[in-house]
Amino acid sequence: MTHQTHAYHMVNPSPWPLTGALSALLMTSGLTMWFHFNSGTLLTLGLLTNSLTMYQWWRDVVRESTFQGHHTAVVQTGLRYGMILFIMSEVFFFAGFFWAFYHSSLAPTPNLGGYWPPAGINPLNPMEVPLLNTLVLLASGVSITWAHHSLMEGNRKHSLQALLITISLGIYFTLLQTSEYFEASFTISDGIYGSTFFVATGFHGLHVMIGSTFLTICFLRQLKFHFTSKHHFGFEAAAWYWHFVDVVWLFLYISIYWWGS
Amino acid sequence: MASRLLCRAGELAAQALRASGPRGAAAVRSMASGGGVPTDEEQATGLEREVLMAARKGLDPYNILPPKGASGTREDPNLVPSITNKRIVGCICEEDNSTVIWFWLHKGDIQRCPNCGAHYKLVPHQLAH
Repeated sequence: MTHQTHAYHMVNPSPWPLTGALSALLMTSGLTMWFHFNSGTLLTLGLLTNSLTMYQWWRDVVRESTFQGHHTAVVQTGLRYGMILFIMSEVFFFAGFFWAFYHSSLAPTPNLGGYWPPAGINPLNPMEVPLLNTLVLLASGVSITWAHHSLMEGNRKHSLQALLITISLGIYFTLLQTSEYFEASFTISDGIYGSTFFVATGFHGLHVMIGSTFLTICFLRQLKFHFTSKHHFGFEAAAWYWHFVDVVWLFLYISIYWWGS
Repeated sequence: MASRLLCRAGELAAQALRASGPRGAAAVRSMASGGGVPTDEEQATGLEREVLMAARKGLDPYNILPPKGASGTREDPNLVPSITNKRIVGCICEEDNSTVIWFWLHKGDIQRCPNCGAHYKLVPHQLAH
């Protein structure tokens, strides 16, 4: 039997890329059916198969790395590049929505009244809940840094505590933002203001939920002793993603909530 | 619902913290140094562990580091191991050159880099393990 003479990971054949692609098809066509024909079946099926794919794929990555030891330093380097490139793609995703916001708000059209916020729009007070949200996310950035250092220093209790605080702050943000969505006097269909506001903050909120989920997985893995003091890339990736989410919020707050009011 | 979720998370955390408390301390501390987080020494497994252990002894069985260049003369050619009868060589003629000179090195005669003339010889191996 021949063994490899390199330190890379030649992954075994896996069904998850296929099920992931199929779930993407089901989700997109499902959205169409939901939007246009008031039917949620395909979409539900798509979301279900997507969740199953993600769960099983990432479960397999944990098996390959923590339990089988395939993640050597060079493999980890590749994963780092991958996560950085992914986050960069998300930066460009949000850049589009900021472009849209600035395009419309820097030169408000006559039908808006020629000013921004447009006529009839009562924006949220940036000094109220939005400011609290800013502090909540900034604090979560501090707590996740504490968690990381605790992990590197070998302190299990503190790393779990700090991770829990970070996750709690993330959930708190989501709850606050949800209540703001209900309290706002404007909706997504209130002209370009509503569109830019809810699409940009809405996608941000979705990313907060994704980040919180990622952090929760890290919490569970840390409970089960998966991470070592030197090797814990899953945690680092979650932390990078969380900081990215925080930075996007800061841009949202400054641009849409503050300057845009 | 949110408070129920928070309570559940709190229970999980409390359970975890209890595990690192007085009764669980022995179990946690005996398996990991100091504060309860395992080290690579204790927990690394598989190829990762092999590479770690070998690196401690100054060995590189999985060719992670670039090969050390020989002087490249006819008497002291660069010996290139291969499991077949040919292998691609990338010659960085001078340090920090960004243009790498690529060529196939075949079993048999010593070949020279088409750019700098350094000598290379293929050394066929049977894969031992």
